[in-house]
Amino acid sequence: MSIALRIIIDILLVVSCGFALAGVLGMLRMPDVFNRMQTSTIISVFWLLGLMVAGVLFAALVMHSGSAAVKVVLIGLFFVLTAPVVGHAISRAAYISGERPYTPLKPDKYGEDKPYDKEGII
Amino acid sequence: MIELLIAAIFFALLALMLFYRLAFGPTLADRAIAGDAIEMLAATSLLCYALYSGRGIYLDISLVVAILGFIGTLLIAKYLEGSL
Amino acid sequence: MRKTTFPKVAATFVVCYAFWILVTWSLAAQELIAGAVVCLAVALFTARFFIHDKGFLLLQPRRLFALIFYCLVVFPGELLRANVNVARRAFQPKIPLNSGIVKVPVHVQSTYGRAMLADSITLTPGTITMECAEDEGQLYYYIHWLDVLEEDPDKAGDMIKGRMEKWVRRIWD
Repeated sequence: MSIALRIIIDILLVVSCGFALAGVLGMLRMPDVFNRMQTSTIISVFWLLGLMVAGVLFAALVMHSGSAAVKVVLIGLFFVLTAPVVGHAISRAAYISGERPYTPLKPDKYGEDKPYDKEGII
Repeated sequence: MIELLIAAIFFALLALMLFYRLAFGPTLADRAIAGDAIEMLAATSLLCYALYSGRGIYLDISLVVAILGFIGTLLIAKYLEGSL
Repeated sequence: MRKTTFPKVAATFVVCYAFWILVTWSLAAQELIAGAVVCLAVALFTARFFIHDKGFLLLQPRRLFALIFYCLVVFPGELLRANVNVARRAFQPKIPLNSGIVKVPVHVQSTYGRAMLADSITLTPGTITMECAEDEGQLYYYIHWLDVLEEDPDKAGDMIKGRMEKWVRRIWD
């Protein structure tokens, strides 16, 4: 393994570890449900992209295994496809079950319009 | 390559930190999000360990968690909406 | 209920079979035959849920090029810009809070395009789409925004959607 490849993989791993730490700290420190969800999307996206690139480089160029590289790409793809579905579902469910945003001075258009009471939800 | 093992341990520690939110989260939605994030962190920790040890079976487990893991969270969301 | 037509089954079969080959990663004859049988059964049962439109819509060269350009250039650009902002926010000793829910008009006709735009907005850290509802003939998203800079629907929409809506319309409409 060449030293340049190792340095590139190390940098990608450190960046993804940093973003994962930011996401977890945000989830522990933010004051309400919606803000916590915002930081959980950091965990799911940027962290994953750095890790995926590092994993693909490692599997293809060091292990010489095509199937491992493809599986790493598929894992990343499925996380990116399923994370927003959970985001929509949980945020809407949290609002309907009685949670409200923590900052009272800011706009809350969802509570003013109440589209979940009306017909015709798409 | 030892860095992959270190990254795997780091992600596992982050997942352990999130157990605080899972145990003491004030609402049910908090716990659902924390469970989802723990799932993702566990899957990527497995991925790093699979690349480190060179065994393909861990990659398969990680792939299955990635595909099926979000269904439980969706069920909790439907239950909270009251439409289950 | 929608009908199961041949192009829908063929498109679903192609997607399933490509996934099968990628996961098994072998070109042995028995793997290929077993995969074809299983994928055909799956495609017959699920094609009408999987494809809502014409089967091979995305294979038109214009749309395919727009999709690849969107996934490789436009979306990662938006992602990088928002990600650093939110990550820096999590590390500060006192978290600045300025979050609220805004209402943003959407001008995409296709349902696939609406879903894709909502998912892109959710994947960008700092914004989460909560609901997609119609109000007096115009479609609106309700978006929880971490840093509310603008309350007017049109201006907020320009700030949140950025270049994404134009490319989504180019792909699906």
